[in-house]
Amino acid sequence: MASLALIKTQVESRIPGALTVYARPEPETLPTGIAALDDQTGGIPKGALTQICASPETSSGKTTLLLSLLAQATGKEHFCALVDAGDCFDPASGAAAGVCLSRLLWVRCGGKHRLKPVEQAFKAADILVQNGGFGVIAVDLSNVEERLVRRIPLATWFRFSRVVEKMPTALVFLTPSAVATSCAALTLHLGCKGPRWSGERTVSHGCLLANMEFDLEIRRTHAKKPVAPARPDFTARPQWA
Amino acid sequence: MLFGCIHVPDFPVQAALRREPIPGPVALLDGPESLLKVVACNDLARNAGIDIGMTKLEAEVCPGVALRKRVIEDEESAQAALLDCGYSFSPRVESTCPGTIIADLTGSERLLGDGRNIGPLLLDRAEACNLKANVGIAANPDAALCAARGFRGITIIASGDEAVRLAHLPVRVLKPTPETLDILDAWGIRDFQSLAALPPIPLTQRLGQYGLHLQRLAKGGVERELVPAEAPTLFHEDIELEEAVELLEPLSFILNRLLEQLTARLRARSLATDHVQADLFLEVHPDRELSAASLPDSIAPLHQRALKLPVPTQEAKVLLKLLQLDLAAHPPQAPVKKIRIEVRPARIRLTQTGLFQPLAPEAQKLEITLARLRAVAGETDTEGRGRVGFPVILDSHRPDSFEVLPVGPDRDDQRALVASSRLALRWFRPAVAASVELMNARPVAVQFRRKKARVVHATGPWRTSGAWWDAKESWNRDEWDVHLSVDGASGLYRIFLDHRTGQWFVEGMYD
Repeated sequence: MASLALIKTQVESRIPGALTVYARPEPETLPTGIAALDDQTGGIPKGALTQICASPETSSGKTTLLLSLLAQATGKEHFCALVDAGDCFDPASGAAAGVCLSRLLWVRCGGKHRLKPVEQAFKAADILVQNGGFGVIAVDLSNVEERLVRRIPLATWFRFSRVVEKMPTALVFLTPSAVATSCAALTLHLGCKGPRWSGERTVSHGCLLANMEFDLEIRRTHAKKPVAPARPDFTARPQWA
Repeated sequence: MLFGCIHVPDFPVQAALRREPIPGPVALLDGPESLLKVVACNDLARNAGIDIGMTKLEAEVCPGVALRKRVIEDEESAQAALLDCGYSFSPRVESTCPGTIIADLTGSERLLGDGRNIGPLLLDRAEACNLKANVGIAANPDAALCAARGFRGITIIASGDEAVRLAHLPVRVLKPTPETLDILDAWGIRDFQSLAALPPIPLTQRLGQYGLHLQRLAKGGVERELVPAEAPTLFHEDIELEEAVELLEPLSFILNRLLEQLTARLRARSLATDHVQADLFLEVHPDRELSAASLPDSIAPLHQRALKLPVPTQEAKVLLKLLQLDLAAHPPQAPVKKIRIEVRPARIRLTQTGLFQPLAPEAQKLEITLARLRAVAGETDTEGRGRVGFPVILDSHRPDSFEVLPVGPDRDDQRALVASSRLALRWFRPAVAASVELMNARPVAVQFRRKKARVVHATGPWRTSGAWWDAKESWNRDEWDVHLSVDGASGLYRIFLDHRTGQWFVEGMYD
């Protein structure tokens, strides 16, 4: 033991901090406005990559969650950016969710362009990250085919996670499946529990959507991987309810 | 009273050198193509044997002298730059003659100090505009003018010392008419001192009031009011290229020089710009020039690009990058032979940032970022709406009506945060054509994207219509919210029947 201590002293005298365990500071978080999620994780971590995974054919609440996050961030006067690979964002829904649209930079990918929407989205995300000054940069790849998203090399996710590490920016990806793996500080899986209707069912226009329940699963957090994934649920009401 | 004069010797040559810096001797030629003559040259060219009035053939004999054609636009923009130098010190500036301005500096002593402090400032400002000038400071405008014309560098003449300080200057500094100069020369009058010593009455009898005026100028005692020039509402710089430029990279170097000159002028006036227009005159093939009317629209002889900035800037680098990105997206379709850059002046916007305010992108940096994003995502969609910018909801009942504006975060439309989550809609742009099975006028199955889905529940129809007066913009449809089950996946979609075509579409998904 004495020799181990001696070696340790000699190494540290030459290379200070070589044997010190690097303690990663607890990242700051941005609340999402969804109590079920904020209670469990504190919100979306800044300076880290978050992936929100959901099937593109299911009403899973991923967009509701994203708009809620953007509403909270723009409400705190953060400047946000949304890279929309599928050109799906509805400004009216955003406004109804409380998003301050004048603080939301919207990049609509797609159209007749030499680059494919995924390439456009990643190039745009790169430019935005380089520019800096954004509270949230969200990249919506939900409507992109899963096979194309799976082709994105792990190095790309790793690069993004490293770049934002020192920035006060929450980088959020909406993907069809968990493709960023360990590069993501927080991984959320969303699913649909089903809609609830209210009113008279016998008449088709007498029955209205009351709310939708979503299934939220926290698979990975910035602190440590949970032994069993937490499964908080949340509901969202339509604009007219 | 205090007046400062900036005089640029060999002004036509220096104006040409702003466009094309040449280190050696330079002579400018003007006149008809068949009889070009030297109209201006610099000291190096004079030493090399060039003289005003030489023909082109005679000038070409002198070794190492660069011969260029005189361009009036160069001189106009140089004169405008010189005026801007004056305006950076005083609101009352006279454009005395090409290459010479006089600024009324009265009252600026408390701000800028006396003549010894102001002189170097005037000289530096002129040098920032790529003009090597002489500066004269005196108690009256004409004494300052004579000092700037007659002495190199900075000359400061105290009030009352004019006659003594100007005494040894040659008479030609007064720029008399050639006939008067010949008469004075014949009398043996060579300098100011000799002219000032002449008796006034005989001088008037022989040369008239003009002669008397020259004598007063030589004594440095003429008091007159300045004739202030009108401040320009637009700033522009032009350049005509000897060889047309085809590639964007060499074009960028020229644009950079023009933008730097323009921003230096703006800075001199404490102004910025929020509108830049670049006019590129293209070299169209001679055959096409003959039949200009038959030119296809795609190849116009003038390629115009305009940049509108939400935040005024003085940074040449920012403007250059924006122009580069714009020209990369919209390149000229023929080589460029002439460039004109015009900037609209605007007041500098000053903003106070707070210590506890969240981080926001820098406005000027954001402009470049937006331009780069436009290069990646495209400028507009098929409906003419922007692809990059800040969404604005239009005041219309038409579904999915919005526009995307390239405005920054200045507008504050802070919305109250909603207490509970609101269900969002994801649009399918464009809407996906579908076939819908109906039972008792209710959808029971929807087929789209090669999949058939059973309708679990449907509510509707919600009928909307509008803009019936416009065939292109009108809409008339029945909307349904349907809960579909596709291969075990549960989705809530919005579908609609377009009454104009009778076609069903899936418009989006609640998510």
